[in-house]
Amino acid sequence: MKVDRMDNEAADLKDPASAVWSGLTAENITLAPVPLAAQPTEYIRVSRADLPYGETADASATAVGSGDQLYVRLEWQDDERPNGEFADAAAVILGSGDNIATLGSDDIPVKLWYWAEDREGALNLSSRGPGVVRKNPGASISAAASLDDNRWAVVLSGPAKEVSDSQMGVAIWNGSNDERAGLAAVSGWLSLDMEAS
Amino acid sequence: MNETSEKRQIAWVIDLNKCIGCQTCSVACKVLWTREESEKAQWWCSVNTLPGKGTPKDWEGMGGGFDDAMAPKTGHQPTLADFGGGFDFNHEEVFFGGSAGKVHLEPQAPREGRWAMNWDEDQGAGEWPNSYYFYMPRMCNHCSKPACAQACPSGAMYKNDDGLVVRDEDICSGSRFCMEACPYKKIYFNYERHVGQHCIGCFPRIEKGVAPACVRQCPGRAIFTGWLSEDGPVKDLVMKHKVALPLHGEYGTSPNVYYIPPLSPHPLNEDMSINAEKARIPPEELEALFGPEVHDALATMQSEMDKVRDGGSSELMKTLIAYKWQELLGPFTADPADIIATG
Repeated sequence: MKVDRMDNEAADLKDPASAVWSGLTAENITLAPVPLAAQPTEYIRVSRADLPYGETADASATAVGSGDQLYVRLEWQDDERPNGEFADAAAVILGSGDNIATLGSDDIPVKLWYWAEDREGALNLSSRGPGVVRKNPGASISAAASLDDNRWAVVLSGPAKEVSDSQMGVAIWNGSNDERAGLAAVSGWLSLDMEAS
Repeated sequence: MNETSEKRQIAWVIDLNKCIGCQTCSVACKVLWTREESEKAQWWCSVNTLPGKGTPKDWEGMGGGFDDAMAPKTGHQPTLADFGGGFDFNHEEVFFGGSAGKVHLEPQAPREGRWAMNWDEDQGAGEWPNSYYFYMPRMCNHCSKPACAQACPSGAMYKNDDGLVVRDEDICSGSRFCMEACPYKKIYFNYERHVGQHCIGCFPRIEKGVAPACVRQCPGRAIFTGWLSEDGPVKDLVMKHKVALPLHGEYGTSPNVYYIPPLSPHPLNEDMSINAEKARIPPEELEALFGPEVHDALATMQSEMDKVRDGGSSELMKTLIAYKWQELLGPFTADPADIIATG
């Protein structure tokens, strides 16, 4: 995935509705549910055996490098059902192992730059499996979101060094389907071409 | 975590014959633990009238726990509305609005669908003159097989060395599977901090030898605490006399809050004569709460009461009366006023 460089546009890049983004080519991404068998507790495996989750099948992503920051803009169509107890959420996944489908594994964690509709800002998480997360003491992550005609646009940004030697993926949680933790839709890895300009 | 804890286990015994529904336990807990943001609707200890819908509303129909084969049963996550969100009241209008006597203190929420902790207080069931109700305090059961902890994907919940189910809020990711899996629906969600919260058994007090607030503050001397495996009233009532029973033991979680079931007076016949064959609280309703063992427990209680009435002595009755208040506290007799706060 191409990472454009725009070194003088940092303020605008944080805004998902900024015109800066409209001139860039977005990468279409296909997502699939985290496998039921990989869910970490028997309760989740039993209770979700007949309840579909990870319902968001398509999204798009655009990435820009600016200064020492990486900005990733995600966009996807939300469904029309109102949210109940759970919020819509999304994450940029960073890692290198063969374990993105399960949001990391016990031996090889992935990083999540995590945004949720009901939280201020973003979380930097370490994930060792579906819902098996800890807060990362590392870099601070920012997020901004807009919702237009039921279509989410979210920009997550953090230090570009966080993604060196990494591949990037995307996870989306549909709040109206009570999706949270490992009940997510996840993409495959996208190789980041950080040298592009 | 282990299927069953082999550590020592703290337990509670609540005598429903002595609970007067005063909510002192609820308030003692509330002022100690849930006064911060997004905790208005949290009543880690709550007293409800039975029969009744309880808190959260209709919690007994929300699932969770384990089946006979110890497989998890799918549960429903209670919502803020199920708990009753906690009301703002028209204090300003009543006290400073210049309408004294005309405006009453009233929740500022739509009348339709209102619910809150203890909303159906004293409604009970039955027809006059045989109406009946009793009170039931409920808190986290600190189960030996905690469905909540087993459902948690992040590993935030665990049994501590005293057998209390506790939560590391730094690890809790707010996924709320614990709320689904707990069959007693005694876990709340803090919408500001994005973590689950529940009764922690006053573990900081326990560690200092002080009884939990609900126990120590109960004016009816209705709540006992202590180690389940060590000599004392709790062990005696549960294991020796077998009059203290778990609530909904069929949920499969091995709860550690036990209840002395309520005896009740005889009902009246239509001609107002006493029907000495029956109890006013239908035994089948108590069986639905405490299992078939409730009949033996009630028979034991009645028999021991009769013994005392006939001039005899009953160790069980002496224990339940708790002539000395400190007997309720088990080994946790330290006075909180004597504890020096640190940190």
